[in-house]
Amino acid sequence: MENHHEDRDIVRVDFAFRRELAEKIEGNLASFCYQCGACVGDCPANTYSDGIFNPREIMLEVLYGLGDELIGPDSVLWLCTNCYSCHERCPQEVKPVEVIISLKNMLADRGLAPAAAEKVIRTFLTSGRTVPPSPAVDKQRAKFGLPPLPEVPMEEILKILEPDEGGTS
Amino acid sequence: MKKFAFFPGCLIPARHPAMEFAIRETLPKLGIEIVDLEGASCCPDPIYFKSKDKLDWLTVAARNLTLAEDKGLDLFTNCSGCTATLSESYHLLQDDGLRAQVNRRLERIGRKYRGTSRVRHIATVVRDEVGYDAIRDTVVRPLEGLKVAIHYGCHLLKPSRIMKVDNPDNPDVMENLVAALGATPVRHRNWYLCCGKACQTEDLPATMMRDLLTTVRDENADVLGMICPTCFGQFDHGQMKVGKRFGEDFGTPPIYYFQLLAFAQGVPYDDLGFERQRFKPEALKAYEGAGTPA
Repeated sequence: MENHHEDRDIVRVDFAFRRELAEKIEGNLASFCYQCGACVGDCPANTYSDGIFNPREIMLEVLYGLGDELIGPDSVLWLCTNCYSCHERCPQEVKPVEVIISLKNMLADRGLAPAAAEKVIRTFLTSGRTVPPSPAVDKQRAKFGLPPLPEVPMEEILKILEPDEGGTS
Repeated sequence: MKKFAFFPGCLIPARHPAMEFAIRETLPKLGIEIVDLEGASCCPDPIYFKSKDKLDWLTVAARNLTLAEDKGLDLFTNCSGCTATLSESYHLLQDDGLRAQVNRRLERIGRKYRGTSRVRHIATVVRDEVGYDAIRDTVVRPLEGLKVAIHYGCHLLKPSRIMKVDNPDNPDVMENLVAALGATPVRHRNWYLCCGKACQTEDLPATMMRDLLTTVRDENADVLGMICPTCFGQFDHGQMKVGKRFGEDFGTPPIYYFQLLAFAQGVPYDDLGFERQRFKPEALKAYEGAGTPA
């Protein structure tokens, strides 16, 4: 696998990468991609990255199993704006954005998620919210006659987040 | 009164309580009864949380949906991000295999997802359950002459097969909601563009925002109306950052639709928390004398 850049005339499909991706929710949808490019025209990340981010090319890399082009530090995947236009446009219901998010799950599994994502997760695991409760928040709420933020039953949340027995997640 | 379970999410209750106040103020006047859900968590967010682990994301969303199922009610959200997560989860959980997988996790806390509560964005609740004419009937300060540029945002509309809100290529719900207040909706050239807040890098959304704010400014609108608190943050704090970065003054204050509705229904300007915005919708003040609260 490490040598595929040198053997440019041979495409070697990394099936382990494809199998791992297929285990993610909607991770296997790229199989239906016929490379029409409908996802590219409306993609703001494509427009504003001078074409560096290209959902059609990402689907092609997935089909070829070129995982090491996508799964690594500073992956191009984080340029996605999550606007869902590609999902809207795709005639094959490939949902490129969902495949991209599944790839991000693979990055996160390897500890390669951006710091901001890790911070949001930590906040959620302590408060059940993405914006943590605080006396300042409750004071602002009181100004509008609103009660303090209700507590989230974290014991329930943590229980349902425990990995499945024998599963990967 | 039609009853709906209210899923306020994280951003509005914690960062923008004025928006929650406006919703609780306006909906009862439109004949909608709000039922609060105990024990709701973050939806969870469709960007960061979902990019970490989709199965965890779907499981937490399913638990939130069961809270509305317990009440036997459909649920509405006031945030396009929450709507994205919950609508998509509702859609994904129609798959028997995924539903069984998620329910095995929910079983640990004595819960079961059944798929009996539908997910509605607040914009569709007022459009479909109240109607534009009935909204107009509650207006005591018609906002005639107020130009409201429209920002739809992405997740209200797309993917339309799942969101089922409006035609993503030519929507009209926001224009009609604004027109019901007597104001003039304005569609700017980049109306379709994403606000960029959900992009997990910095440079790309800044350039995109500059283009978007430039076309908004070209319309000389009084305010930029929207329906999503994430977009709102991007057009308030974010507008300041982008303005500084490029040395430009865009100067169109953002406004969340339900605050505009509350104002049109007679809530005083000073009660709506606008002083906390970086760009304040001061054009509204001209209408304060036009009506007194009923």
